[in-house]
This record gives sequence, structure tokens and C-alpha cells, in this order.
Amino acid sequence: MKQAVEELRRQAAGLLKEERVKCVIGWTQGTDVARAVPFFATSVRQAARLTWTPFCVNNLSKYLLNHRYDNTPLAVVVKGCDSRGINRLVQDRQFVRERVVVLGLPCGGMLDREKVLRVVDPGAALQEVEDRGSEYMLRTDKGEYGFEKREALLSKCLECEHNIPVVSDLMIGPQVPSPAGSGIDRFAGVRELETRDPAVRSTFWDRHFARCLRCYACRNVCPACNCKECSFEQAVPGWQQGACWLSKRNHPGQNYLFHLIRMFHVAGRCIDCGECARVCPVNIPLRELYRKVMKDAEELFAMKTPGTDPEEVPLLSTYRTDDPEEFS
Amino acid sequence: MSARVISRDRISGFLDCILRKYPLVAPVEEDGVVAYRRVAAAREVALDAGLSDVPPKTHFFPQTEVLFHYSNLSGLEIVEPAGAPETVLFGVRPCDLRGFAALDPVFGGRFKDVYYRDKREKTTVVGLSCTSVLPTCFCRAYGSSPVDGTGADLMFTRLGERYLVEVRTPKGARLVEDCADFFTEDGVREAAREKEVLARELDGRFVRRVDLDSVKEKVDGMFESPYWGKLAQRCLGCGICTFLCPTCHCFDIVDEDRGDRTGCRLRCWDSCMFTDFTLHTSGHNPRATKTERVRNRFLHKLKYHLDRYGLAGCVGCGRCVAKCPVNIDITRVIAEIKEVD
Repeated sequence: MKQAVEELRRQAAGLLKEERVKCVIGWTQGTDVARAVPFFATSVRQAARLTWTPFCVNNLSKYLLNHRYDNTPLAVVVKGCDSRGINRLVQDRQFVRERVVVLGLPCGGMLDREKVLRVVDPGAALQEVEDRGSEYMLRTDKGEYGFEKREALLSKCLECEHNIPVVSDLMIGPQVPSPAGSGIDRFAGVRELETRDPAVRSTFWDRHFARCLRCYACRNVCPACNCKECSFEQAVPGWQQGACWLSKRNHPGQNYLFHLIRMFHVAGRCIDCGECARVCPVNIPLRELYRKVMKDAEELFAMKTPGTDPEEVPLLSTYRTDDPEEFS
Repeated sequence: MSARVISRDRISGFLDCILRKYPLVAPVEEDGVVAYRRVAAAREVALDAGLSDVPPKTHFFPQTEVLFHYSNLSGLEIVEPAGAPETVLFGVRPCDLRGFAALDPVFGGRFKDVYYRDKREKTTVVGLSCTSVLPTCFCRAYGSSPVDGTGADLMFTRLGERYLVEVRTPKGARLVEDCADFFTEDGVREAAREKEVLARELDGRFVRRVDLDSVKEKVDGMFESPYWGKLAQRCLGCGICTFLCPTCHCFDIVDEDRGDRTGCRLRCWDSCMFTDFTLHTSGHNPRATKTERVRNRFLHKLKYHLDRYGLAGCVGCGRCVAKCPVNIDITRVIAEIKEVD
């Protein structure tokens, strides 16, 4: 990945030097060996700190929203999955496409940091990463470590749909093969849940939602959640609006309401970047929840994963007289 | 301070003995997440789970607490919840014991918070020494250690197949008396020596070197520093760091009105990371952007709590370091603060 890192830094430095953009949103090395961290390069010197490793898991498209009400020209670095977020934000009129230079990185998959840290000392310094197709080789100051992709990638990467960004102005680095396993059923997890008895399924989600801390990390990391003000910030005392239907109360019923509202809200807008499930501090399998909607949309309306095509009309913005009416 | 020894295979008997007399709150593992909950049997307790994901402050300061129910159908009626029963909170790690010490003056100082204090006074806290040090741990920087029992009524330390049990307060002594059959005084001296060995060994396992020297003096003059703006750029504004923090204690009081002149008033955890934190009725918010909110969090940890109570606002548990989705790492912040001009 050395070649891509060098090219990324060079391109970013060029964009900043020529003042085509004010800021390049990318990643830099985080505070341990298996972390990269969102980084906002605003000078040529800072561009040299940009990096590209199999730990660049954060979907940076969300950060465009920090600038939705100003006119700052920006560049943003995206992986394949994240790039769908660019299309979605543009479709939602959150951002003008011309204002952002999209730097696309062909991606061989992201490593599961937990698995890496079982082997590598977190204090080790990451020096170089080589993508060898079926494995990653990490070179650190404390030795070299090989990780078989099949074993060590994030599960979302083994189901990867677009490892080459679907939208970009500049493609950085060499093309790399998709980390997706052959013959993988992207919706296997959803299908497995669907086969369960409704009562069992209900218990499953009850248990997970009861644990929710309502920290809203799933919402805040999500490019589909781009409302200026979330309904969950409008929780006002009942006497102001007749009755309190959304409460701050951490309670299984209220938590259920939060998650189901979010699920419906991201229908046709969730790009399946998997960030929600990654950030959840209490391991709620949120990705399966939203993918249930995605699977239904695919089966009923032949919708592709949202954000795949810049010209697509979002699921809930289309109506055809021959739409299936399975409830009639 | 007296001490006892309990063999490992008698721990569940001891916990069941507690359960016959008191409600028991202990670490429980569910879907890979460890949090403190009321348990019905000793087998539910995740004895060896290490540092919990969610800190035990949830026991004294639950995320949602009903203050009262009201009804105004035929004259105003207020029903307050019954007080807390005598309870045992088992398996609290040293950093979280420190967390309680940081919360106590907030809820028990000038303004006495009856909800917190009622539970605090009626709870016997059983501490549990750590047997490992996580890469994110830095309690050492705050003068604590993985075996520090300060703040516990009883302190358990695992030493192979047995535990040293230090009786630190009269409450702790009463719990030992209540379940006296499970403990022995034989081998206490050897166990105490072994604990010292364990303490030294664990002390050498910290990977995070955090030096707080001169940090307080530095942040005292940093309110207007551009550093906070830079740090805040990547913050998502979620509540992970504050909700998982053993010392964070902000709450918001809300009414749930059912629309029929009945309802309840409750308080819920609030987070200085949220956009509606300290939002005034007028619409003005003194912490209008992420920059002010992120600054508030770090100044609270590194300055305000010290100014107010002479106690650190961070205990070095490392939960925020481990769980922040964008790697905002307080140990890095501490190091960077020293470099700020």
C-alpha cells in the first residue's frame, strides 16, 4: 500500500498547494498500531501525515456535513463502501458535488483490530503494509505479521460489494482485487434471522435494544442520518405537545422506538458502510436491522444498495403503479 | 484492617449467601458486553470478565431514574418511589472505586442528592482487584493501582485458586459476618504477601505512560486555545465517552406526560457532547459548537473537577480511549496539551 500512500500524499499536497481545496479529509495513524484516525489536512506539511492502511475504517463522507452550510472547497478520501455515502449526500441535497474533490482508494478490505491486537503489541509502530491479495503483511518496529484476509478482515469486507469507489474524481493507487469471498450471500445474516420464530426474533431484539445506552453513536456516524435536527433531540415534555411520544428515558420500549424509527428513516438511504455496528459500544447488531430493509427493497423493488449510482432515485422518492402490493 | 481468605470454589456459595439476605448487583456478560446488573443467582456473575464495558456508576446513578409519578385528575397527587433496599454491589474494579469517590462530592456536597445518597449509604461495595492490565489502562497515572482497594467496604484480590479478602469498613465486616462460613483466617498473611507480589507484577505491565505533571497548570490557561477546535473536528458528538465514564454525572430532568393529566418526572444521563446540552429555553446555547463541547469535556476531566473538589475528574479506566469511534484519546490529549503554545 506504500505506493498508494505516497500518491495520496502527493495528490493531497497538490490540491492544497494549488488552493483547489482548503482541507483534505483523510486518515492519519491513530494512537495504537491498529487504528487510523480521521484527519483534516490543511497544509502541504500536513498532507504528508495522511495515511492509508487496513485500519482506515472510518467513513469520512459524514464529515462533509460539517461544511454543508459553508462554501469551503474540500477533498475527501473514500473507500468503495464510503463512496456510496458521497452519492447519497449529494442526492439528499446536503452537498454540492462540484464542491468536493473525491479521492478514491481501491480497497483490499479492512482488518478487524481486535483480531490484530491479539497478535501485535498495540504499542508497536506501523511502518509499512503490503496487500498481497489474500493476505496483509504488516511491518512494524516489533516484527512482521501476516494476516490471512479470510480470517482477519471485518465481516462487512468479506461481503464487499464495491471495493473500487463508485464515485471519484481521482483514483489513487493500483486496482486491488475485491476482498469479498466467492459465492458469499450478503444477506445471510438477515436470512438467518428471518427463519427464526417471531417470538424468538422478538426476544433477540428486545435483549439487544434493552442494552442500548442511547449514546446515538450509530446515528452520529451515519451518512444517512443527515437531518439538521434529529427527532430525538425534539423530545419535549408531554405538556408542550399533548403527550410525550418520544422520551429520553432509557427503557426497552423507548429504545425499541428509537431503533425502529431509525431503521425506517434509513430505508433506501443506508449505504451499508457498517459504521453503526462498529461504533456501537454495546454490540447491538445494527447492520442486520438496516439490511433487512435493504433486502426487502431489493426483493420488492429491485433497488440497488443506496448510493451505488449517482443518478438513482431513492427508494422512498419513487412510485410506480406496478409496485408490488404484498399487503393488499 | 482485618482480612480473610476465601477459596475460589466457594465464591459462588458466598454470592448465593449474599442473595439470601440482600439484592446483589454484579458484573454480567451479555453478547460480549459486561455491565452491572441485579442478578438472581451466583452463576450469572461474570467473575473473571475484567474491566466492564459499562461502569458500575449505573447502580448509584442509573441512566434513567424516576423522581416521581404525578396525577392531576382530582387534585395534584405525587407518588415518589420507595427508597433503596440494603444492597451489595459486587466486583467493582479499583478505577471504578475511584469513580465513586469522584461522584460522592457532586451528589453529597452542598446539594444533597437524595436519590444517589440513599443508594450509596445502603450499598455495601465489594471491590475486586484486576488480574491483568489492558493496553488502554492508566489508573497508575492517578496514583491508583490494579489492586487498590480504596473506597471498597470489602476488597477481593484473586491469587490463583483463592482470594484475599480485606475488610476495610464496618459495612464490609458485617457482610463477612453474614456469610462467615465461607471465609477462613488461615493463610491471610501469605495471601497478603502474594498480593504485594501481584501488585508489583501488574505495575510493570502498563503500556501507556501518562504523565500529568504540569497539565493542570497548563489547562488553567487554555480556555481560548485553538487546540480544542482542532481536536473537535473529528468528534462525532456521540455520548460514548461520557456515558462510559465512571466520573461523568450530568443529567437532564424531563417530564413524560401521558396527555391525560398524568405522567412522571425523570432524570436521564446527559452528555456535554450532545447538541442540546445546556441549550437554554431562549434558544441560546453557551456551548454552541463541538469545539466548546469537546473543551468542556476535557476541562472537566483535567481542571474543573480538581478546582471544585480537589479530585481528578478522570480515573484512568481507559474506556473512552478504547471505545471512541474516532480515536479521541485522553492520554494523547494530555501529552498534546503540554506541547500547545
